[in-house]
Amino acid sequence: MKIDNSLPLEYGTEENSLKILGFWIFLGAEIMLFATLFATYFTLVNRTGSGPTGAEIFQITPVLFETILLLTSSFTVGLGIHAMRIGRQKAMIAFFSLTLLLGLAFLGVEIFEFYTYVHEGAGIQTSAFTSILLTTLGTHGAHVTLGFFWGLFIILQVKKRGLTPQTTNKAFIFSLYWHFLDVVWIFIFSFIYLKGMM
Amino acid sequence: MSQLFPMKQVIGFVFSILLTTIALAVYFLDMSFAAGMTILLVTAFIQAGLQLVVFMHAGETKDKGAIYTNVFYGLIIALVTVFGTILAMVWDM
Amino acid sequence: MDFFDRFAVPHPSVAIYASMAAIGLTVIAVIAGITYFKKWGYLWREWLTTVDHKRIGIMYLLSALLMLFRGGVDAIMMRAQLAVPENTLLDAQHYNEIFTTHGIVMILFMAMPFIMFFMNFVVPLQIGARDVAFPRLNALSFWLFFMGAMLFNISFVVGGSPDAGWTSYFPLAGNEFSTSVGTNYYMIAIQIAGIGTLMTGINFITTILKMRAPGMTLMKMPMFTWSALIANVIIVFAFPVLAVLLAMGTLDRQFGTQFFTMDNGGMDMLWANLFWVWGHPEVYILILPAFGIYSEIISTFARRNLYGYKSMVGSMVIISLLSFLVWAHHFFTMGQGALTNSIFSITTMAIAVPTGVKIFNWLLTLRKGKIVFTTPMLYSMLFIPLFTLGGVTGVMLAMSAADYQYHNTMFLVAHFHNVIIPGVVYAMLAGLHYYWPKMFGFMLNEKIGKWTAWLLSIGFVLAFMPMYASGLDGQARRMYTYSEAAGFGLLNMISFVGAAIMAIGFVLIVYNIYYSTRYESRDISNDPWDARTLEWSTHTPVPEYNFAILPEVRSNEALWDAKKNGHVLFKGEYEKIHMPNNSGIPFIMSCIFFVWGFSFIFSLWIPVIVTTLGIFGCMALRSFEQDHGRYISVKEIEETETNLRGA
Repeated sequence: MKIDNSLPLEYGTEENSLKILGFWIFLGAEIMLFATLFATYFTLVNRTGSGPTGAEIFQITPVLFETILLLTSSFTVGLGIHAMRIGRQKAMIAFFSLTLLLGLAFLGVEIFEFYTYVHEGAGIQTSAFTSILLTTLGTHGAHVTLGFFWGLFIILQVKKRGLTPQTTNKAFIFSLYWHFLDVVWIFIFSFIYLKGMM
Repeated sequence: MSQLFPMKQVIGFVFSILLTTIALAVYFLDMSFAAGMTILLVTAFIQAGLQLVVFMHAGETKDKGAIYTNVFYGLIIALVTVFGTILAMVWDM
Repeated sequence: MDFFDRFAVPHPSVAIYASMAAIGLTVIAVIAGITYFKKWGYLWREWLTTVDHKRIGIMYLLSALLMLFRGGVDAIMMRAQLAVPENTLLDAQHYNEIFTTHGIVMILFMAMPFIMFFMNFVVPLQIGARDVAFPRLNALSFWLFFMGAMLFNISFVVGGSPDAGWTSYFPLAGNEFSTSVGTNYYMIAIQIAGIGTLMTGINFITTILKMRAPGMTLMKMPMFTWSALIANVIIVFAFPVLAVLLAMGTLDRQFGTQFFTMDNGGMDMLWANLFWVWGHPEVYILILPAFGIYSEIISTFARRNLYGYKSMVGSMVIISLLSFLVWAHHFFTMGQGALTNSIFSITTMAIAVPTGVKIFNWLLTLRKGKIVFTTPMLYSMLFIPLFTLGGVTGVMLAMSAADYQYHNTMFLVAHFHNVIIPGVVYAMLAGLHYYWPKMFGFMLNEKIGKWTAWLLSIGFVLAFMPMYASGLDGQARRMYTYSEAAGFGLLNMISFVGAAIMAIGFVLIVYNIYYSTRYESRDISNDPWDARTLEWSTHTPVPEYNFAILPEVRSNEALWDAKKNGHVLFKGEYEKIHMPNNSGIPFIMSCIFFVWGFSFIFSLWIPVIVTTLGIFGCMALRSFEQDHGRYISVKEIEETETNLRGA
């Protein structure tokens, strides 16, 4: 296998650089996926029927927690990649584990938030607004859940196989995914929560 | 230890917390809808750009042309879809 | 027994029972045949687990041809029903089901795989690559598409076909008005196939951007590769919209959400809006590769380089952006204001400009060319005038004020068939004749091919021109019958005759394949058409590694450059070649997807959970798997090359 040493290990082989570009293109598709959800959200946001409005159910505290947790996890996964690039396997695993723990905490808060909504009479069947609200948040949450398991598998592989062109490539692509979820959250935070509570 | 915390990423993180705090102003302060939306749009897009360049290393290889084209193309189509939909379904209905 | 009642067709007839028996017998015959000839091992090793883009391409082709006939039968039944006033061949419900499945099958399960076939088979050869960027993902794309298509097709005999039109507008597609599981089939089957298509998009963009032969800059890519690149860009940004839309439709139908309902704030018009956000780019996904194929064929058989290469590329890039800016022209009459309609009217008319540029480029390529009228060229020459006619009526429809007259009439039906048949279907058939020798090592018979092209064109004109007239007279689309007093009888009878002639044309294609397989010469060169691009520079049949030595390219017509200017394409020594291993995971995972989809459609939640875990299990397995591929040694390459050169 040809390994190009002028680049970080995760780009090292030709296959690796194909995978990274391919994943970027996948993220392009993800932009459109969330854009469709946002388009639907903005269309239906005031169509609350007999259900509650956003201002009635949104609470700043859990949302702030979620935001801080996810922003920090995005920072730690970035540090994980940095550690990986300077060959510090243990530090990398530590940062990745921290990232996943923060992700898990985020999911915990989100589940609590959903539970509260349903209790307040804002279930997914209540109105067009609650349908799209919970679908958008749920889609993001499902992405985080998937990312959790994906990240876990990568930690296991790095532990077992060390920092090879394959494992570093997977870890780097995972980090792209995780940062992207953070970007999506920023938009959810700004245009669903803050706009709704303004 | 310090080599595990590169300056660029630490500053990036501080910046993203700062932008979040600025965005929170629309909740805690009383302002018009237009002013609030302006703040949210500006902070959200700067944050997104920050993640892209600082954390996602979008521009580090020779594929950066393809990557940026892809992201901007996606962004343009996404904005067209969102605003076109709002135009047809809400504003002009 | 209650449990099994749900699988019964809600509205049975003799035709459906007959098809059930026919489908059952065919399946038994196929299984028995494979077992008798002991071909299971061969099938598994060489086809079901293959990651070779050429074989995947051929499987796409077979699926597309199969679906062409399924959709064609739907079409001929519709025309037969409408041939005379107050006909009772079909009742309203069957007619609804048939026009619905005709649309979906033809667009998503015939035209799309046909395009995928060309992209799979041609693009890697045309850019001088050994495979696509992600061969295993490519296999998964195909199998997901295939399982989606099969799932959709069994709706006919298990549970009932969808009947809300291929656009499946709510509230008609909601639970209240579509009570059978038919629309669930629509949501889930298209979702599965759509995931496959999205992955193809990602795969081919990466392939085209990263795996071109040395020296092939973007502006030296052959035109078909350019068109494939642009079409895949559109796929990547349009198909996620469809995925979200179908998911919301599923939630509405099966989980009681309120997206498109009539109360609690639901907005049925949003379905139409988002459907066309995907739907309009979708038509460009179909037509751009078709344009690419015409460009290759016209320049080959005019024996000239393509006129205006740069403007061709530029117009496609503009079309790719504009295709996302015109969707509201599908529902001008839905009630949005004049501002919206005017904006979308203007963008729609604007898209005719880059399309017109392409037409003029083809005409100027023909000018002073030494035109050879082969079958592919004949299709291309029939395409130009017929397609232009369809384009002109498109501009008529683009004017929102006038559209109130045309909307939902047969005029519209005539228009979109007028662009899709000469535009896409002719390109597929022209390309089929053109690339057949590269795939199978013999040509399709030219005489039968030309007869087919003429029959299809005569049939097409007879079938669709009368619809323009009856549409302007007020005949609505999707009506299963009309009164004698309406006066549409004669025009519809002419349409039926046209459709019958087209049917003969399609049967002739099958006959041609049969005839040519038996009688056509196997003694053809690697380049039987005297063509211009790289796919013709390698052997026929193409070895699994495509090129023993990767070509070096210095123009957009690399082979022509080699033939006329003596440029040496293949320089250097043989080196061992890295190839991907076959894998059963894509096929198995897609089978699980099939069961998942089927269970989901019937709301059988326990199998849904089990299969969901199965799908994630396959992904986890893939994550932990270590597969570095294999190498073909220099000795093997030498042997293969000697054998192929001797042949």
